[in-house]
Amino acid sequence: MDWQVIWLFLQQGVASGLVTGSIYALLAVAIVIIFKTTDAPNFAAGELFMAAAYVALYLLVFLALPFVAVVPISLGIAFIAAALFYRIVLQKIGSSAAVTVNVVIATLGLSFVLKGLVRKTGVGDVPRSFPSIFGNDTVMIGQAVLTMQDIGILVLAVLSMTIFFLFFNFTRTGRAMRAVGMNPKAAVLVGINLRRTRMLIWGLSGLLSSLAAILIAPKILMTADMGSVVILGFAAAIIGGFTSLPGAVLGGIIIGVVENLVGLFISSRAISVAPFVAIMLVLVLRPQGLLGGKVAVKKV
Amino acid sequence: MKTMFRAALMGLVLTGSAGFSAQAFPVKAGQGSYSDPGITDDTIKIGLFAPLSGPAQAYGEDPLNAARMWYETVNSMGGIWGRKIELVIEDDRCNANDLVAAVKKLVEQDKVFMINGGSCSAAAVAAQEYVTRAKVPYVMLNASGDGALYPPTDYIFGAISISQRAVGGTAVDFATRHLKGKKIGYINHDDAYGAWNLETAEFTAKEAGATLSVESINPNITDVTAPLLKIRAFNPDVIILTTYARPATLILKKAHELGMKMPIILTVTGTANLKQLVDNVGTKDAFKNFYVQDVINDTPDGPKQKWVLDMYKKRYPELAAKPDHPTPYMPYGIPAAQTVTHALLLAGPNPTREGVARIMRSLTFESGVMAGLISYGENDRAGQESSIFLKFDGDKQELQPGVYVSRWVYKP
Repeated sequence: MDWQVIWLFLQQGVASGLVTGSIYALLAVAIVIIFKTTDAPNFAAGELFMAAAYVALYLLVFLALPFVAVVPISLGIAFIAAALFYRIVLQKIGSSAAVTVNVVIATLGLSFVLKGLVRKTGVGDVPRSFPSIFGNDTVMIGQAVLTMQDIGILVLAVLSMTIFFLFFNFTRTGRAMRAVGMNPKAAVLVGINLRRTRMLIWGLSGLLSSLAAILIAPKILMTADMGSVVILGFAAAIIGGFTSLPGAVLGGIIIGVVENLVGLFISSRAISVAPFVAIMLVLVLRPQGLLGGKVAVKKV
Repeated sequence: MKTMFRAALMGLVLTGSAGFSAQAFPVKAGQGSYSDPGITDDTIKIGLFAPLSGPAQAYGEDPLNAARMWYETVNSMGGIWGRKIELVIEDDRCNANDLVAAVKKLVEQDKVFMINGGSCSAAAVAAQEYVTRAKVPYVMLNASGDGALYPPTDYIFGAISISQRAVGGTAVDFATRHLKGKKIGYINHDDAYGAWNLETAEFTAKEAGATLSVESINPNITDVTAPLLKIRAFNPDVIILTTYARPATLILKKAHELGMKMPIILTVTGTANLKQLVDNVGTKDAFKNFYVQDVINDTPDGPKQKWVLDMYKKRYPELAAKPDHPTPYMPYGIPAAQTVTHALLLAGPNPTREGVARIMRSLTFESGVMAGLISYGENDRAGQESSIFLKFDGDKQELQPGVYVSRWVYKP
């Protein structure tokens, strides 16, 4: 392999990796905000992502609504559906013993229900394309080729993560969410409505999943199994530190770029194992994740 | 149509049955007691199964419909040796556990004489151990099932559509002979399927003096930038894709984005719905230099396929009126059922499972449906190993000259 090819591979690998990595980052943030406030991973994150994509497809193709209407309606539906799931199912579970296990099982149940519903419609049986919001014209950045959709994904993902960062750090509701994540009991003592805040977090997580779905669906094709992408979101969250939002973003970007570079410089066969090798390396060298802070030891 | 239909009915090439006086469907039945279950003086029971529900329903339902209409046609002509074929139909859901359960039910509870079914290779292969122990002849429906075909065993027969080995070999044959490719980019899956088709692809490329650059990808890949960039760096004359439809779509899209203009051949593994493929890629410009592999003897609406289509429309008028029906896999059900009926016919008036299996191990016939003969041999349990190729511009399919036959032979 000569230097020209290596330089081309590096440029294209990093550019494409940033695009897919930004989607993993969005999914990782959606996972982490729920984990921080409920101490349980949301195993329905992938199916929420998948169902949101099909809702958007339904609005766009079957109801023939324009994109400007489809995007906010889809985000709104995902927000409400996820918030309602917390309100109707998880809140009830929250009052029982063995809360974490029950929450995990409930999210697994939700994942089966959503996948079943999409399959039941018949549209999930064959791969379908989701129209590109930004078009498929190509642009050259150095020697790397990206489509306008790629650029749009990167810009919107970064923008939305920036908005989330500002929201969590500089708004009263955002601070309340962080407080719930740090110490729910103390948060209640200072007057934060725990149930309302958690419902809002679930809604925001659904919204993020929906945004990720609308952005990436034109690139990966839609099937009822497309939610498996969320495994990479989990991987990103683990690499970044499961309780760190900036870590989740960093983890997503790392996975996107590593996947491409491993595929280009090692083997295409290694693409699917690369994220998990990265997880193992991070867990061995820095068990709390890259930005997971100090390892906390619980006293018993 | 009549000629093709007659060819299919009478098309037994009795390579393994010298001396047998070929009569298509003799009317004189055997009489007396039978050593194997599922057979009487008047009927013979066949277990027929496919995925009839779940996400893989589209792969199996129509081939099963086609097999059923063949069995019904044989019955309408008097059956085989005077015996009517009685079908017991099961749903295998394209799942290994469900398929093995269906096979056990058919053999142990329904007491069928032999079984014909399976559209999903991994699931079909899972039945190998059981049917071998139970010594029940098993003819796959449209599963290629390479995993159960080599090394050969005595009771299991597959690849009625095409074996994975033949998929790779015939695609490379077409790329080197028709498209004159010397440098071939080859993208397959990193699973057993991919390994099987690559084995013959490498064999055929070596024969032709061509060089392969292979990229093996995960079927669930989301970003195909890396493998395609490496293929582009190889500067191939032709690219062959042996992937499923979803990764193939991503690759075609990316190849178009990267401005890759060389011919691309998509094997039958990814051609289930060409209209959907075009819709998903999003532009017909990506199909300017594009070829698809097929395993039937003509374009799907060509004159040699007309009798199959007419038969389907007559038997299933409501299904035929539905969009995307018949599915591209539908015709494969006919040669699968023909394999069963021809073997029963050749086994004589008093067939045994052992006798039918022995006949099948040397059965060769012209189906009137597939690109090549359905043919088994001492070390060969793959029925069909030939392909045709069509140039597809996003709208029309244009048949390319020649039938490409796999030259790879299993050596024990």
